[in-house]
Amino acid sequence: MALDKLYQQVILDHNRSPRHYGRLEGATHSARGHDALCGDDILVELRVADGKIQEAAFSGEACAITTASASMLMDWLVGRSRSEVALEHAHFAQLLDDPELPDRPELGAINHLRAVSGFPARVRNTLLPWRATLQALERQQ
Amino acid sequence: MDIVESKVKDQLDVFALREQFPVLARRVHDEKPLVYFDNAATAQRPLKVIEAMDDFYRRYNANVHRGVHQLSVEASEQFELARDSVRRLLNADSVREVVFTRGTTEAVNLVAQAYLRPRLEEGDEILITHMEHHSNIVPWQMLCEQTGAVLKVAPINRQGELLVEELASMINERTKLIGMVHVSNALGTINPVEEVCRIAKKHDVPVLVDGAQATPHMAVDVQALGCDFYCISAHKMYGPTGIGALWARESILEDMPPWQGGGEMITRVSFEGTTYNDLPHKFEAGTPNISGAIGFGKAVEFLEETGYEGIVWQEERLLEYATERMQAIDGLEIIGTAKHKGPVVSFTLEGAHPNDIGTIVDHYGVAIRTGHHCAMPVMQFFDVPATARVSFAPYNIRNEIDIFLEALGKARDMLA
Repeated sequence: MALDKLYQQVILDHNRSPRHYGRLEGATHSARGHDALCGDDILVELRVADGKIQEAAFSGEACAITTASASMLMDWLVGRSRSEVALEHAHFAQLLDDPELPDRPELGAINHLRAVSGFPARVRNTLLPWRATLQALERQQ
Repeated sequence: MDIVESKVKDQLDVFALREQFPVLARRVHDEKPLVYFDNAATAQRPLKVIEAMDDFYRRYNANVHRGVHQLSVEASEQFELARDSVRRLLNADSVREVVFTRGTTEAVNLVAQAYLRPRLEEGDEILITHMEHHSNIVPWQMLCEQTGAVLKVAPINRQGELLVEELASMINERTKLIGMVHVSNALGTINPVEEVCRIAKKHDVPVLVDGAQATPHMAVDVQALGCDFYCISAHKMYGPTGIGALWARESILEDMPPWQGGGEMITRVSFEGTTYNDLPHKFEAGTPNISGAIGFGKAVEFLEETGYEGIVWQEERLLEYATERMQAIDGLEIIGTAKHKGPVVSFTLEGAHPNDIGTIVDHYGVAIRTGHHCAMPVMQFFDVPATARVSFAPYNIRNEIDIFLEALGKARDMLA
């Protein structure tokens, strides 16, 4: 059932042991992703050099879906440029909106999170780390 | 699991009560019976309310207080009968003291702008409590910005109870109003409104009570409480959304300037000047929510027919059972353990974020609320980002609590 798909092993595993979790020393960019309504509150920190993200980390407290999404995203971010992140964010938002679309290879494991499209109330959670990342990239620390 | 429970006729026939709420027969997510535990957000509507509103649109839809034609006369009659029902509900002296609003929020804003604003000077104080809903915080903050007044907050303890002595010690000659919630939506706490009003009276400070969560669960008598303003929402007490009421003593309302201008609130308009309508119409500019008011009146009748005695009996049983069972769960913490409590259990569960709990139990048919419950200062006080909350109505039964607990166990297993 849809619930098992949402809380599938890959997602639960990222929630239990999130990758790139903690503060990032030497971060050049950062932004807070806060969703007061449901209590998600994360900090995304990035180290950018030569126009590319060299390191990414997140910290804070959030639900399983936000945490898994942040964990997967941080993994994916390394080596990407701002414009790539913006482009894939747009694609990802579209994928969440339309379950009929095929997976997007560029997004790799993040495609697993498409299971949230059956849970409209949770789409916001999934996109929160992306929004924080984009916000971070827009401003220098 | 199916929903079963033995009837207890003496206090309340729960099954007969459930029959009055068509939505309770709904099945959700692959034919699971709906367990509706989000009553504090909004209660369900009985047939009596639904049918009365339907009847208005089918048979006598017309504007009120305007026309000489039969439909308008009938609509006006039903509209004013509804006002009298609200008067009865609150044991107010006169229908002149009952102003229809969009809800509690609008009632608080009305008092802030039409009553308090002209009376405030820079440095004056408004005193509220730490357990207020945003609707009884933000209107005062806005007013403080407009006037230079200061918002003061009376503390609560770890059980979620108001510290009345502390509140009393915070009253001074600059205190111009006390705003307090009767029953906390986030914690369930029932506040000693009468006691606070007695203290306030000694200092000649008016008290506004947010009663949104009180009228669904207990008899409210504004005269016995001794408050000056009482604000309610119909949808929390089995009526429609978009309608509520402000009660205030006639002498106070007479003294207040109108809030919004428009039709209905005037007796004569010319470009040289306008004379305002009598109470309560002075505060009801524009065509009102007529069907909403009619539904509101029927919700009051529903409460009267059901009887608060039976409602309290059933809700206390549910609260006691849920609290006992939930307390036994490892890692579960109940937020809000006041001695006097309404049928609300807010909680956190170790290793499971409220949001995930909400999504998972929903899949087992159980509707609960998760988040900050429009009371972010309460979340900050208890140092939690959010809580999950179950809130009961008299149509809920013990067996539904079992279904919820089973679903909660699944949530915990899944997230562990």
